[in-house]
Amino acid sequence: MTEHIKPLRAVFVPFRMGHHFGVPFHVNAQRRIIAEALDFVRTATHSGQILDLLRWADLRREGAQIEKQQKS
Amino acid sequence: MSAIGSMITKSDVVPLAPMRRPLADSRLTFVSTAGVQPIGTLPFDVVHPVGDYTFRRVPSSATPADLEIHQLKYPTDGAHRDLNVIFPIERLQELARENVVGGLTQDFFSFIGYNMDPDLLERTLAEDLARAVADEQADLALLAPA
Repeated sequence: MTEHIKPLRAVFVPFRMGHHFGVPFHVNAQRRIIAEALDFVRTATHSGQILDLLRWADLRREGAQIEKQQKS
Repeated sequence: MSAIGSMITKSDVVPLAPMRRPLADSRLTFVSTAGVQPIGTLPFDVVHPVGDYTFRRVPSSATPADLEIHQLKYPTDGAHRDLNVIFPIERLQELARENVVGGLTQDFFSFIGYNMDPDLLERTLAEDLARAVADEQADLALLAPA
């Protein structure tokens, strides 16, 4: 859909709906997604470019670990 | 132009708008389709058959406890535990405090993504929202779907 809409710059994140900034309580991942998006404003070379970012499985595992630590 | 499997197509390409100043001097705004709104403001009409073409202002200084979600079209289980997963207001506040960005607009903006009339959306919500963002003198905008 992003390819059809052609926003000037877009970051593709592999998360399910409702979770576009990663997983709950994973502050570092949330910050990284924003930081990469803001940096892409500067580094994008052409309109319509899409930046692929992160692996959902990795972040989900890290997020589960963070929540486990919060509860212990 | 048409595309199999999608109603959404756009043949024109908007040229890249270059940054006018360094990020650390730029005012950032955030626009979201998450249906996040301050508690006590008029709830989005989440059951209207063609959607709700209004937006809400969300003070950029708000805390997650000040906000609620009116949106039925995406899973909110993560957002109800940590709003930042869909509306990263605390992360954006941190970036401003750390001078990664020059500052935040006074308000962020939120609407619901369920809008079934793209022409109406373009004529009303998109125009109204673009005007509001411009009035906030934003240098750049982070847009996020939900």
